[in-house]
Amino acid sequence: MKVSFPYMGCVTGYKKVFETLGHEVVMPQKPTQKTIDLGVKYSPEFICFPFKVIMGTYIEAVQAGANVIVASGGNGPCRAGLYGEIHQKILKSMGHDVKFIVFDSMFRDFGLFYDNLKKIKNKIPIIKVLKNLWLSYQIICRMDEIEKEIKVLRAYEQKRGDFNRVWLEIQRMYDGCWTQKDIDKVTEQARKMLQEVPLKKVEEEEKIRIGIVGEIYVIMESSTNMDIEQTLNSMGIEVESVQYISDWVKHNIQPNFIGGSKSHQVIHKAKRFVKMNLGGHDMENIGWMVDFKERGFDAVVHLMPFGCLPELITQSAIPTISQELDLPILSLSLDEQNGTANNRTRIEAFVDLVRNKKRGGSVQKKEVKEPEYTDKVPEELAG
Amino acid sequence: MDIYIGIDVGSVSTNVVAMDQNDHIIFKEYTRTNGQPLESVKKGLKLLEEDLKRIFYTVKGVGTTGSGRQLAGILVGADIVKNEITAHATATVNFHPTVNTILEIGGQDSKIIIIQDKMVVDFAMNTVCAAGTGSFLDHQSERLGVPIQDFGGLALTAKKDVRIAGRCTVFAESDMIAKQQYGFSKAEIIKGLCDALVRNYINNLGRGKALKAPYVFQGGVAANKGIKAAFERELGCEIIIPKYYNVMGAIGAAILAKEYIEVSGEETKFRGFGAAELAFKPRSFECEDCANCCEVIKVELNGKTVAIWGDKCGKWANSVTG
Ligand code: SF4
Ligand code: SF4
Repeated sequence: MKVSFPYMGCVTGYKKVFETLGHEVVMPQKPTQKTIDLGVKYSPEFICFPFKVIMGTYIEAVQAGANVIVASGGNGPCRAGLYGEIHQKILKSMGHDVKFIVFDSMFRDFGLFYDNLKKIKNKIPIIKVLKNLWLSYQIICRMDEIEKEIKVLRAYEQKRGDFNRVWLEIQRMYDGCWTQKDIDKVTEQARKMLQEVPLKKVEEEEKIRIGIVGEIYVIMESSTNMDIEQTLNSMGIEVESVQYISDWVKHNIQPNFIGGSKSHQVIHKAKRFVKMNLGGHDMENIGWMVDFKERGFDAVVHLMPFGCLPELITQSAIPTISQELDLPILSLSLDEQNGTANNRTRIEAFVDLVRNKKRGGSVQKKEVKEPEYTDKVPEELAG
Repeated sequence: MDIYIGIDVGSVSTNVVAMDQNDHIIFKEYTRTNGQPLESVKKGLKLLEEDLKRIFYTVKGVGTTGSGRQLAGILVGADIVKNEITAHATATVNFHPTVNTILEIGGQDSKIIIIQDKMVVDFAMNTVCAAGTGSFLDHQSERLGVPIQDFGGLALTAKKDVRIAGRCTVFAESDMIAKQQYGFSKAEIIKGLCDALVRNYINNLGRGKALKAPYVFQGGVAANKGIKAAFERELGCEIIIPKYYNVMGAIGAAILAKEYIEVSGEETKFRGFGAAELAFKPRSFECEDCANCCEVIKVELNGKTVAIWGDKCGKWANSVTG
């Protein structure tokens, strides 16, 4: 069994999962323009942009010898839930008979989850499997934390590219971790490496922080979002994006009891703007906007694939949210036909707007009203 | 006299202005880009140099804006390189400090900018749909056989209203032909087209925004009286057209250059009017050193590499010194 998976977020962590289960892994390649072209060519024209890019990644992985693909299913009525099946069909029509294992939320259908787990566990006792999963999960969490820090520090690097170089090295280091002890050692070393990168001195009141929300794939995959984080960092802006894989895992695996994962808490915050979730991460994203505001961020960038339904809902709520929270929000719609130049102009103008606002004080001083919380998340929001 | 130069390189027009230290415009040139942004910048600079022969002057600063801002900035040695939205807003606020809404329609794109207390608080840009831009009007004027200069004036003479579907250029065109067959006059059709464009613009760009007077309408299309009238009907109030409506981006770039020089106290990086003669070669290549496959843009000036961008890792950009 040669396993591959979508290129999304912390691939080092996934790789670890399958390797510790004794599978051979075909590492998916970071999508390039070629990947996107390939995906677009073999996908239905009107399907979502992330689908096309993932399609391209799969084709490349299959050409490199993969015969099993492990993917995550979406939830709700959004098209993401069908990705796996359609991808498989398309690959089949191209003459590649590939097995798909799609993981859904473990708590929605534990039986199916367990079956899927059995399919990939390679005759290793379940207790060992869980231990291995835990190890990989630890790696993913540590790497997520470090990446999060880099997106802040990179705004102040003296020499462009320093942090990217360090990050590549750190990824390589985690790839060589096989025990908890390895992980601890590497984490310590990684932190040291981060501290050694020379930084520019910037006054606290000059610092600008932007939060990124939106559809999970375009947020996480820089090749689909014009490298927005790097772009903002290079303009001297700190960035934090939601939807790290570790959060996603927590959201889907951690049961939703009081004080569940951060995602569950965040959904509460969205309630003053929208009443229910409409398929994707729309409600969560609205909640994150509120959360960023409460944590003192200066602005939010919202990324959506062109024509993405759940994110269209988020987008339509943006004017109200932006006004009520006194928070500048820029919504960018992305697809394969996007001219980067225009979005670049939008980003630059937005950054000017945010900087001016920060320097000139608040345009419309408005108290952020405390949202009213209900103490229970209704069933349909638990997603 | 101290002067500041502003250059706006768009896909349709390239504009060059010169401004004195009191923000008076002493030169302006609006030229067609014709797909050759660098050539048109050089041409604009030559004309400016000719014109300036009449006075004593020192160039204190240069700013560039527009879609070709980066390349043009390197060519002339700009002190600041700014996006079109900030540049346009800067110019408008300078001439009309109370402005709340800027309507801008150029040849290939259109924008709306919301201003509060002289600051940009919101904006939108339309670059995919031609139905809200000048090229739509150009196209229709050709179809109707009415020169674009007369287009707006003719619209004002219309007696009746006719509603033309303005969602997109193709629909507008077929609808227009149908309406012509029903016997509407050219003037009425043109008025209908102006209304369609404005409706389209407001629906696309103004959605979810609080539009408030005073309105300032600028960009090449602001010359069109028919569109101005259509905006006034749609928004229900008077619309200001600034004196330099078609070169506002360039003026904004000049003002921003001036502000930058005044605040930083730096000397300008302007290469002088000789820049128009320099052998300036931009080219792009695909870096194959890692999976990112960046499209790297490299600019050579008289055989020396002066700028590189587009590389995600910074290894190319970092290799350029000075
Ligand atoms: S979230 Fe948006 S992009 Fe993703 S599958 Fe759903 S509709 Fe498509
Ligand atoms: S420029 Fe740097 S990041 Fe881009 S492909 Fe080359 S090595 Fe990779």
